[in-house]
Amino acid sequence: MNAADPIIKIRHINKYFGSFKALDDVSLDVNLGEKVVVLGPSGSGKSTLLRTINRLETISSGSIIVDGHDLYDPDEDINRIRMELGMVFQNFNLFKHKTVLENLTLAPIKLKKMEKGRAEAMAYELLDKVGIRDRANHYPIQLSGGQQQRVAIARALAMEPKIMLFDEPTSALDPEMIGEVLEVMITLAREGMTMVVVTHEMGFAREVADQVVFMDGGAIVEEASPDSFFDHPVHARTRLFLDQIL
Amino acid sequence: MSDQKQKIEIGDGAAIPDPEDKGLISAWWIALIGTVSLLIILPLLKPDPYARILSFVPDGILVTFKVTIASISLALVIGLLTGLGRLSKNRFINLVASLYVEIVRGVPLLVQLFYIYFALGRIVRVPDIVAAVIAMAFCYGAYMGEVFRAGIKSIDHGQTEASLSLGFNRRQTMAYVVLPQAWRTILPPVGNEFIALLKDTSLVSILAVADILRRGREYASESFNYFETYTMIALIYLLITLVLSRLIANMEHRLSHYERR
Ligand SMILES: Nc1ncnc2c1ncn2[C@@H]1O[C@H](COP(=O)(O)OP(=O)(O)O)[C@@H](O)[C@H]1O
Ligand SMILES: [Mg+2]
Repeated sequence: MNAADPIIKIRHINKYFGSFKALDDVSLDVNLGEKVVVLGPSGSGKSTLLRTINRLETISSGSIIVDGHDLYDPDEDINRIRMELGMVFQNFNLFKHKTVLENLTLAPIKLKKMEKGRAEAMAYELLDKVGIRDRANHYPIQLSGGQQQRVAIARALAMEPKIMLFDEPTSALDPEMIGEVLEVMITLAREGMTMVVVTHEMGFAREVADQVVFMDGGAIVEEASPDSFFDHPVHARTRLFLDQIL
Repeated sequence: MSDQKQKIEIGDGAAIPDPEDKGLISAWWIALIGTVSLLIILPLLKPDPYARILSFVPDGILVTFKVTIASISLALVIGLLTGLGRLSKNRFINLVASLYVEIVRGVPLLVQLFYIYFALGRIVRVPDIVAAVIAMAFCYGAYMGEVFRAGIKSIDHGQTEASLSLGFNRRQTMAYVVLPQAWRTILPPVGNEFIALLKDTSLVSILAVADILRRGREYASESFNYFETYTMIALIYLLITLVLSRLIANMEHRLSHYERR
């Protein structure tokens, strides 16, 4: 792979749920270190698009290449590719039967055969980073939503992925907890992580995004830098969406 | 988090006392104290025949336990495979598992016991107790399959997605993430099945397996003390199931530790 090649190459993908077309000829490039924010009304296909990137959703046609690996090449090991792709869900999805620490160490120990002591040391470092070291031995249910989401980010980071995917990471949170999660994501962005983020947080999009993608009806309607996207939206549907949300 | 409290209701078997249910707990204590008292007082007051009955059945208790433990272990393995089979997207595996469950559910246990015992006996010569265990496990494996299926289905799909997204394959996801959580939902009905199975092992007394009931019948037919013998047999079964139901309830409580805030 050429160093200048996009780390994610999505080419003309279509996705059907039965006869319903959820993704309509979507193409998108994400470069190493780039932050892409995906905006759009509910049901426009944002989650579906994000989930095709680690093949949690399979596509009906088109191609997706992540870090040089074709997701649909039968010779590729999807589980190996997924280790490069951290994912953060709207509902956290922390392992309920594991403590915070175990949530972070499970995958490195089992998948990377990391020694337990090393995995735990790394886990504590990550918990420091998301500001939650004191909860290491708690179970997820004992944490607030904001804390759970920060642990979920740390869990994904524990596999040292090259790319992080976020699907509305703050949408299930009480308003007072949104800030603490966004703060972690902003720090991550500053450190140079490649990120694809589905969100309704316009402030975050403006501050962090290199590229804003607007979706409607399963298609990408507009792609632009945050400044031109928010200040000079080209398409009528984009303007309508921004008028409604701002 | 009401979805975590959900339990699979599969009737049959003893009522396992829920530590929070005061009514059941006291019923359990009354039954236990009553049973133990009778098992002590009757032989003391009337050693002949009660004490003699008691000295006659211990081998049978051992056999009942052996059959129960072996059957439940085998049934759990069959149940897990059946449950996974019934959830499988592979049409053939799914069909085989479903067919097995349908057949077992439609034929009375006693008929299955006879069938496997005599059919197996014509093909290979196995000890009576082995034939009995295979028959019990064959039947209970189907019920366990339904329990496993319901338990696995009760786990939020988000748990599976999180696990897959980290790089775990389907088998690892099942082993590290889904089953450990499903076990919590599965345990109460498995406990019920365990106790139901223990009681149903009394059926194997018909197959020349010297369990509690058969030992009792042997004693009764020699001594003609039918009433006294079956009283003691009933009390012994009751004591065993009461103690077991409590053990299972305690285990269930320990397993739910991660659900307590
Ligand atoms: N598993 C599914 N089966 C059927 N339809 C689905 C499924 N997942 C999503 N959809 C449909 O696809 C469309 C896009 O969904 P989604 O990508 O979740 O939208 P968004 O994340 O932008 O709100 C919606 O109309 C939704 O109902
Ligand atoms: Mg969505």
